[in-house]
Amino acid sequence: MSRLEIYSPEGLRLDGRRWNELRRFESSINTHPDAADGSSYLEQGNNKIITLVTGPQEPRLRSQASFSHASVSVNLNITKFSRMERSKASHRNERRVLEMQTALVRTFEKNVMLHLYPRTSIDIQVHVLQQDGGLMSSLINGITLALIDAGIAMYDYISSVSVGLYDTTPLLDMNSLEENAMSSVTLAVVGKSEKLSLLLVEDKIPLDRFESVLAIGIAGAHRVRELMDKELRRHGQKRLANASK
Amino acid sequence: MVNLIYPGDSISIPERTNVVTGPGIYLDPKSQHLKPINVGIEVIDPSKRVTSVYLDFNSKRYIPSEGDFVIGVITSTFADSYRVSLANFSTAVTLSYMAFPNASKKNRPTLKVGDLLYARVSKANKELEAEIECVDSSTGKDAGYGHLDGGVVVDVSLAFCRELLFNNDFPLLKLIGKRTEFEVAIGLNGKIWIKAADILSTLACYRIILDCEKQPTSQYSEIIKNRFKELANSAD
Amino acid sequence: MAKDIEISVSQGRFLIETLKQKVRLDGRRFDQMRDVDIELGKDRGDVMVTMGKTRVHCRISCEIAQPYEDRPFEGLFVISTETSPMAGPQFENGNNTGEDEVLCSRIIEKAVRRSGALDVEGLCIVAGSKCWAVRADVHFLNCDGGFIDASCIAVMTGLLHFKKPDVTVSGERVTVHPPEEREPVPLGVLHTPICVTFSFFNPEDTEENIKGESNNEISLIDATLSEELLRDGTLTITLNKNREVVQVSKAGGLPMDALTLMDCCHKAYNIVERLTDQVQRVIKEDEQTRNQYAAILSSENARES
Repeated sequence: MSRLEIYSPEGLRLDGRRWNELRRFESSINTHPDAADGSSYLEQGNNKIITLVTGPQEPRLRSQASFSHASVSVNLNITKFSRMERSKASHRNERRVLEMQTALVRTFEKNVMLHLYPRTSIDIQVHVLQQDGGLMSSLINGITLALIDAGIAMYDYISSVSVGLYDTTPLLDMNSLEENAMSSVTLAVVGKSEKLSLLLVEDKIPLDRFESVLAIGIAGAHRVRELMDKELRRHGQKRLANASK
Repeated sequence: MVNLIYPGDSISIPERTNVVTGPGIYLDPKSQHLKPINVGIEVIDPSKRVTSVYLDFNSKRYIPSEGDFVIGVITSTFADSYRVSLANFSTAVTLSYMAFPNASKKNRPTLKVGDLLYARVSKANKELEAEIECVDSSTGKDAGYGHLDGGVVVDVSLAFCRELLFNNDFPLLKLIGKRTEFEVAIGLNGKIWIKAADILSTLACYRIILDCEKQPTSQYSEIIKNRFKELANSAD
Repeated sequence: MAKDIEISVSQGRFLIETLKQKVRLDGRRFDQMRDVDIELGKDRGDVMVTMGKTRVHCRISCEIAQPYEDRPFEGLFVISTETSPMAGPQFENGNNTGEDEVLCSRIIEKAVRRSGALDVEGLCIVAGSKCWAVRADVHFLNCDGGFIDASCIAVMTGLLHFKKPDVTVSGERVTVHPPEEREPVPLGVLHTPICVTFSFFNPEDTEENIKGESNNEISLIDATLSEELLRDGTLTITLNKNREVVQVSKAGGLPMDALTLMDCCHKAYNIVERLTDQVQRVIKEDEQTRNQYAAILSSENARES
């Protein structure tokens, strides 16, 4: 691969962003009103993700039912055509995918008020149509939107973003070219707080730089939360206008 | 005298009349000989009208047998019964809603999933699921069984539990009693529930029981002293 | 389906109550790791790590294989972490798709293999056709929590201890020299990542955890099995002695304050520093016992001058 200039001396990145700028973030909710109880479509840069939430519903197997709270399951479908090159293998049972599913379940288990829906299951399906770095964070944002659309009680938004560290400069919300070139941190923040519900670091980061990476990540996640909030309010207003017609 | 018996050894009993066989002993129906089927310490107890013969041996897995006192955890509830787990990774047993003192169709017990309870094995058929009860079935009255609130459960070996429950001269509980007040329930399924006045004393009892299982009785008072001292220091 | 370990409500409450009193069931401090015992076998790359009741065995082996087509200059390195009922009845044979099993193997994979702890380019023999395939087999012998930490230490010690046979290449011909003929060569280990696992408990209700300002969550280092069964969240930090964060995995679970997590990183670093020294000391001592007759057997000083 040719040497790409990840971060130019003028302070510009490959796609022309500055270090602390997010990618284009566009979302809509209730995109599949007939197919699921809650749904969302999210474009974060070139990531395109459809999320469908069904539930709380009767669990498929009786043994899955818990007497005290709902059970959450996540099914992640990374399509074969989601990257530039069509992948030959289906990603369904890869360990990487299983790990991501587990991480998503454990993230949302603590944020959804599961005790309100005993003996039920909440099934989340995620379809990745296109991916371009920072996949995990886009998945979390998509699920948060779809859960809100489904009307499932949650404590707060979970917003997520990835941060890279290029030499000494943290770069917010990386695309795949940047992700391949440097170490990445994915973090998920609960609401407007500084509490991290998920934190994944891959590849080496100096311990002393870690704190500044976290700080920019949290700020970025708060910004993502605002963008999601804006879209939800817009959608809410639209529905209200339709209802009062 | 301690006599260790192996399967295949012969057991000699002075008087062959009125023999009751216990665990580890098999009566060959043809030859009418008693045969040991486990490794253990031979116990021949001729004290009552009948002579009871059994082997005392330690094992890890608990197999329910009628009349045993047990400690279990409720794992699920059904229309007319609870499922109770007596040991991890073994079949759960049934506890009927009617097996409680003053039970009636209207008066249902209020235990929840995850609650601990003390009970007695009422039915233990090989072919059927074992059943337990929280009532003295002969009188229908409360007999100290039921929900164990708070406290902690210690997992120990089956033989240690039997020793604690049946051997009145066993010094452990008496020695702990000199240091703190406590409530205790001993399940023959290898579980001891203990609850002292405060959380730190309970923790001390927890550690003492775990330690004492592996040590000779002569060490007990030393262990108890150290464990209480250790926690008194950590509380500061 | 394997039956699970049943835990009563009061057991959980008891643990939280004791933690509120700042004591742990086994008498350790919150940030105290169990003593790690590293035992090296007679063969090179044979390691047994014991932490309390947890026992993990790791065996490193190597063979000559063909490198991947897209990476002709790199050797192969595989870590196999399969659990079996040998570790405890909660594990199933041949079924390694359980959530914890997948997380455990992925974390070790990321910590050791993807962080480049082993110099795979040094495993190349003939570019594009022959290379060493190094394999680390981790066996879980007994489970009392802390599998990730123990297996990471075991794999790293194994890699440091292992030596592969020497080879000579002439054109396409490769001669492998048995250890009697030529001294085997050690593997190129570039850094020593060590994992430290934290377990989080929430002594208060969920609302306080998410909305509250108190940050009263309790974090324990190196939980035992009974603590692992009851924890609300977990965090595994992998660091090396060069103050580099190699890998962090907090896959959901109890939301934790960012500053607390930073604090965990610094605590972990102290432990990592100590454990790295221990690993190196064990390797060095083993080297000395192996070479104790070297001075006598050497012919260097045979003649008097």
